[in-house]
Amino acid sequence: MDFILDGFIHAFHLLTSGNAETYSAIWVTVKVSSYSICCSLLIGIPLGFCLGYFDFRWKKSLRTVVDTLMALPTVFIGLLVYAFITHRGPLGNFGLLFSLPGIAIGQTILALPIVIGLSATAVESMDQKLRIAIISMGANRRQLFISSLWEARHGLLAGAIAAYGRVMTEVGISMMVGGNIKWHTRTITTAIALETNKGQFGLGVALGIVLLVIAFCVNISVSFLRRRV
Amino acid sequence: MNQPLYELRSLAHSYGGKTVVSIEHLAVPPGSILGIIGPNGSGKSSLLRLLGLIERPTRGKILFNGREVAPFSDEARFLISLLPQEPFLMKRSVFNNVSYGLKLRGNGGDISARVGEALAWVGLSSADFARRPWYALSGGEAQRVALAARLALKPEVLLLDEPTASVDAASAQLIKEAALRARRHWGATLIVASHDWQWLYEICDEIRHIFKGQIFGTGRESIIFGPWQEQKPGKWAKILSDKQQMIVPVPPNQEAAAVIKDLAVSESELRDGDDDLILRGLVSRLSLEKNTGQVVATIIAGNLPLSVGLTPQQVQERTIFPGKDIFIHYSLEQVKWI
Repeated sequence: MDFILDGFIHAFHLLTSGNAETYSAIWVTVKVSSYSICCSLLIGIPLGFCLGYFDFRWKKSLRTVVDTLMALPTVFIGLLVYAFITHRGPLGNFGLLFSLPGIAIGQTILALPIVIGLSATAVESMDQKLRIAIISMGANRRQLFISSLWEARHGLLAGAIAAYGRVMTEVGISMMVGGNIKWHTRTITTAIALETNKGQFGLGVALGIVLLVIAFCVNISVSFLRRRV
Repeated sequence: MNQPLYELRSLAHSYGGKTVVSIEHLAVPPGSILGIIGPNGSGKSSLLRLLGLIERPTRGKILFNGREVAPFSDEARFLISLLPQEPFLMKRSVFNNVSYGLKLRGNGGDISARVGEALAWVGLSSADFARRPWYALSGGEAQRVALAARLALKPEVLLLDEPTASVDAASAQLIKEAALRARRHWGATLIVASHDWQWLYEICDEIRHIFKGQIFGTGRESIIFGPWQEQKPGKWAKILSDKQQMIVPVPPNQEAAAVIKDLAVSESELRDGDDDLILRGLVSRLSLEKNTGQVVATIIAGNLPLSVGLTPQQVQERTIFPGKDIFIHYSLEQVKWI
């Protein structure tokens, strides 16, 4: 059990000493997960709004598909993205394999169903009287959309946090698409997998704690933001 | 004749195949106050949502100032505002709720003044309430803030759906006064759906009944719901709570609703040898009808409220007052099925 305690001490040491390799993995993780969460929010929130707001013929079926995709295995996404961006794949010419944009594409696919599904739930749970209130004040369609999103902001924020957590902690996509290249595409999770394989449990635990600290900071910031708005 | 502000032509609206509004024609003159009376589920709220351009009618046309309008029409969306029955405030402060519509309109500098003025109209102090969040208000305060948000816009049409149904007497009075201010200050057209008949009689230029989505009458009719019972072949009646029988012609079905108007009253059962049908009742209240100057007496027969129009002279000569026992006379020809 000493390795767990060692891990905490090691984590403290790595962070306070400014260990370049650790900070590279942290930076890559934050950077690529931020790219992917931004993309998934930009695409997912409008789609989630439409799914939750409008009634259409295949709505329930589509909702079931989205809910199912929320549980997509990361290695399966990694495999699919790998197949598309490998040199023999249809997107091979773009040179995305073993690059951060490649990982970001995979992570966006991972986060998208979560953002769509939870946004749709947030919009569906809005009071129906909200629509009447907004239109009766003279809003046009665009203003109705923006105001409705703002009213659903707490639910959307919860969806964004859930998606960010999933993206930041995934390992399958980063490993398969990114290749775990040191200084380049190595994220915290792929580094943990590598160090554990090497028997370096202490370093693995340390990186895990770093991941927890980042998640904690994100949640604290969001909670603060939530109280302010 | 002036062009009506609203004109409804062959309007119908359905939810899930069930028609909730069906109006062949209705015109509302500008600057008037129209009262809509009807039981729960009669289509009042649906009609107001259509007039408020919240929903698109399933069939027919709504003309506003002579032009066909629909939800989000630029010709009308800044001119019409609906206050729904249940107050709904957005998740923001009172100030931001009241100023929301002004900001949509791009009103710049005078927003604070307009918000303060509108809050004052509904009896709320801007200093005490403007910064309060939406969840820190009582039901009556929330309804008044919701009304202030509409009044701040100075709309040409203010649609009020049971504005005083869920608030205390003091809030109700403030809401009534504030709504009338819209008429007095900028000549707004008011369309009010309410169970508060007395208030409607006092303020409305015109009152219409709504039942099963259809508009009819002048508000002085009484609607009587089934069930009807056959007493003997060809003779049907509604048994009132005090065992009186209200005799009616053969109904189309046992649950049909009847409308009866031009009831007469007397202090005795006999009325100059007429062979009328008679009910005994108690005068419950007297209301002065604004547009005709007539007095509308609400008489409770058993558990059935009936409206009777009287001239002020008749009220004086017959010393009619709330609490007085009185007889209501009608004939079968006066009963119509709807």
